[in-house]
Amino acid sequence: MPKCTIDGKEIEVAPGTSVIQAAEQAGVRVPRFCYHDDLPVDGNCRMCMVEIEKFPKLQIACGTTVSEGMVVRTQVTSEKAKVAQRDTLEFLLVNHPIDCPVCDQAGECYLQDQYMENGLHDSRTVLEDKIQKRKVVDLGPIMLDAERCVVCSRCIRYEREVTKTNLLEFVNRGGSTQISTYNGGPITHEYAGNLADVCPVGALLSSDFRFKMRVWFLKETDSVCPGCSTGCNITIDHRDCEAYRFRPRRNVEVNKSWLCDPGRRLYQTIAADRVTTPHRKGGAVAAPSVLLDEVVAKLRAAGQSSAFLASPRASNEDAFTFKKLAEGLGGRLDFRVGNPQDKVKVRKDQILQREDRHANTQGLLDLGLGVTGVETLLNDCKAGKVEALFLQDGAMLEDPGVLDAAQHVAYVVALATHQGPHLAAAHAVIPAAMWAETDGTFTNYDQRVQRFKRAFDAPGDAKPGWEVALDLLARLGKPMNAATAGDVFVLIAAETKAYADLTHRSLGSLGRAVGDPAKTPATA
Amino acid sequence: MASRIIAVNRDTHPGIFPIVYGMWLTLRNMFETLFVKGRSATIEYPEKKRNISGRYRGIHLLTAREDGTPKCVACYMCATVCPAECIYIESGERPEKKIEKYPTRFEIDLLRCVYCGFCVDACPEEAILMSRENDLVGTSRAELIMDRDQLMNRGKLAEVGRGYHPTDHDVRRPVRIAALERLKSEHGIVPGMPKRS
Repeated sequence: MPKCTIDGKEIEVAPGTSVIQAAEQAGVRVPRFCYHDDLPVDGNCRMCMVEIEKFPKLQIACGTTVSEGMVVRTQVTSEKAKVAQRDTLEFLLVNHPIDCPVCDQAGECYLQDQYMENGLHDSRTVLEDKIQKRKVVDLGPIMLDAERCVVCSRCIRYEREVTKTNLLEFVNRGGSTQISTYNGGPITHEYAGNLADVCPVGALLSSDFRFKMRVWFLKETDSVCPGCSTGCNITIDHRDCEAYRFRPRRNVEVNKSWLCDPGRRLYQTIAADRVTTPHRKGGAVAAPSVLLDEVVAKLRAAGQSSAFLASPRASNEDAFTFKKLAEGLGGRLDFRVGNPQDKVKVRKDQILQREDRHANTQGLLDLGLGVTGVETLLNDCKAGKVEALFLQDGAMLEDPGVLDAAQHVAYVVALATHQGPHLAAAHAVIPAAMWAETDGTFTNYDQRVQRFKRAFDAPGDAKPGWEVALDLLARLGKPMNAATAGDVFVLIAAETKAYADLTHRSLGSLGRAVGDPAKTPATA
Repeated sequence: MASRIIAVNRDTHPGIFPIVYGMWLTLRNMFETLFVKGRSATIEYPEKKRNISGRYRGIHLLTAREDGTPKCVACYMCATVCPAECIYIESGERPEKKIEKYPTRFEIDLLRCVYCGFCVDACPEEAILMSRENDLVGTSRAELIMDRDQLMNRGKLAEVGRGYHPTDHDVRRPVRIAALERLKSEHGIVPGMPKRS
């Protein structure tokens, strides 16, 4: 473990740590363009110059490995490093078009940040003399503006190392160097959104987010992508109860700094066609408490001939309270449609996505929701043994097997997030909140329990699944000692061996793996 | 008018003279305002209007390019700086690659606006200016939310004239100087060309 001194602060770092990482650990952010935590070091931008004792010249912090007794002085304490960084920045800005007012990167742009921190020089280039490059080049999911590019090659290294598609490359020489795809063709893979995140400036921007919102208006909430069983960590950027985009949140154990495009697009589902009011069959709107009383009466009448079908999209909190509801009535209980549990760990591609398109199949398995087997439950429905069926996700009615079974049941209740013709089969529809509108946890394929936080309010009368289940339990006369999702999780931890001693707080922002690491291979 | 302090001896008996003097003053002013030109304190509004300062911060206007399209590039600087949050913008794409962006919607709620002029200061394109118009009249609240086209075609502009706009006094210069002062005093950073040692 080599020890080094950074700006007078002595720290011990792991062998092989670069100076830029060590400085980060010491609390100093060395400015950078080409260095990225999850990409190989290239060292071409020359922005991260630092002064290291016994080196005759300044060194790049990203390409220098910490050795025993190294004494580093960054821009904080070294005037030489500061001047070098300012000079580098001036060079990078020589041909920059300075179109920040129309650039979507404004607000999260490395050039802006670093100019404000230690640049603030007046330009020596006349605007008309700047080299003109291609602007507004449509690369499908990405918009390229070569004039804004600082030629850091982050995107090229991303294409080479992460997606292995090699779609981007430098063309031309000198000041005219710019990035390009072959013949200006589109970016075709499912991980294009990361290019916009990787780009430190506004050269590569998301076509989807283009001109939607200035980033400084957006609030960030830590969350987990519900798109598949990988459980990538994300940040939801939202304003006024509306999600504008998802960004990957770095978690080395799960998704590094990446997120797939299908996952990114899920923000659109939050606003689209939501169920906002409780209603009966045929669309007659009912007051929430009236409908819940009605549901409770029907479930109580059905008693042991009730059936509960949980959804692998539900959070652990939702699933646990749902299970308690089923147990309280002695009804049949299972989850899943199809066999997602067989696909939980199966990769869809070699980067992030997995075949199981549900976020929490593993969590429901851990909580013991697979009791009778979903086929038995549906066959019982068809045989007329079930008098009341409670579906945790209205979308399950889109499955022909479930729809057929539901048509044989006298009373079908569905917690639903989205409207659709399939909901016509339900006798009572209770609006439900989506994961972004409540607190909770998902357990990913690797048995890693990860927490997501409430970003904004659910629309209309929609309530989180756990809140509805707690309400129903209280109306049944079997109240649970919980008022928040965190309280529910404490009860889960008390009953589930694998989750023992966990709380929402102890999960932290990156989650905790509770599975046996020997059995579950880590992400490649 | 400069005030005078008059010591009054209440034991005296001034007689009728002060009353006559007071009435004479009142009547003189009355007849002067009625018959002497330029002596009146009021004007015949709305037929006549006061001469308002050229920096007056009245109802906004959006300027146009030569081809009639808005100069605004929908950068949201005005909406960001607005303390009353009365500006609503939605942006769209222009065919010109040099400009790229323009507002498809640009609305100012004149009832929320506090007429501070920050939007004019913040605008990098001199696209939003203020006029000297100050009579805000409408029969509903919705009427007083001005949209983009209304802001671009302000009928009364020729009549009332342009108000506050950034070249009145260079607003950006003092702001920048203040920022530089703060950088120097608080962070010890002296921007500009780096000094070589």
